Amino acid sequence: MESATVSLGHGHAEEHHGPPEANQSSRIDRQTLGILLFIVSEVMLFGAFFASYFFLRVVVNPSSWPPHPYELPVAVAGVNTAILVSSSFTVHYALEAIRRGNRAGLKLGLLLTWMLGATFLFIQLNEYVHLGFSARDLSFGSIFYSLTGLHGAHVFVGLMLLTFASIRAWRGHFGPDAEDHLGVEVPGIYWHFVDIMWIIVFLTVYIL
Amino acid sequence: MKVSEEAVFRWVVIVAVAGASVIVLTLLTRPLVGALWGLVLVCWACVHAYRWIDRKRRES
Repeated sequence: MESATVSLGHGHAEEHHGPPEANQSSRIDRQTLGILLFIVSEVMLFGAFFASYFFLRVVVNPSSWPPHPYELPVAVAGVNTAILVSSSFTVHYALEAIRRGNRAGLKLGLLLTWMLGATFLFIQLNEYVHLGFSARDLSFGSIFYSLTGLHGAHVFVGLMLLTFASIRAWRGHFGPDAEDHLGVEVPGIYWHFVDIMWIIVFLTVYIL
Repeated sequence: MKVSEEAVFRWVVIVAVAGASVIVLTLLTRPLVGALWGLVLVCWACVHAYRWIDRKRRES
């Protein structure tokens, strides 16, 4: 031990040991950077599914799409889209509320967002039950359930994040300062991504 | 580069309005017209994103 002290005894004994301090960007906090990088990877995942969808629809090119006799409930999906888009407004309201220090508004916004998201998921599952085809029926059935199911899984993850944010809100966490409500901001960014993705999925699968 | 929930929410509104325009055009005409309009919007978004990134790179 003594010999080690002697060998280090050249003026650097009090210096920092271990790995160097992590670099922190002054432009973006690491939580927001993390969710943005995650979203970039998610865009690639969805891109792969969209590529499969367009391959089946354009390159394989069946005579009609959806193939006869399958039909998609466009009106129900349209209402579901409106529900999900409105949930983006409520999560934005929740964040604006906590920025102004309004805790009741934060709780209300998060609760409304959670309920709208759960309603969306429930309607989608109900739609699956009544569609009349399964993922095993033609490549159309496979890609339809894959694409909408992938999105549904993301809504489920978003609901989990919102649940944690809501629990924290009810326990008195979060504040008006930017670094004090990252626990709402990061799930909010993810929720907006899920919303944008659904608009694209809805347009691609149900409308075009 | 300022990235926040507010900025992403703005994109939700932009994508929702663009999506609504595609739906209206598809219902009024044919799905092919809606798809082409959607493609035009995607191209516009790509050009916009490229210019934005280029501008930010020059600023930094």
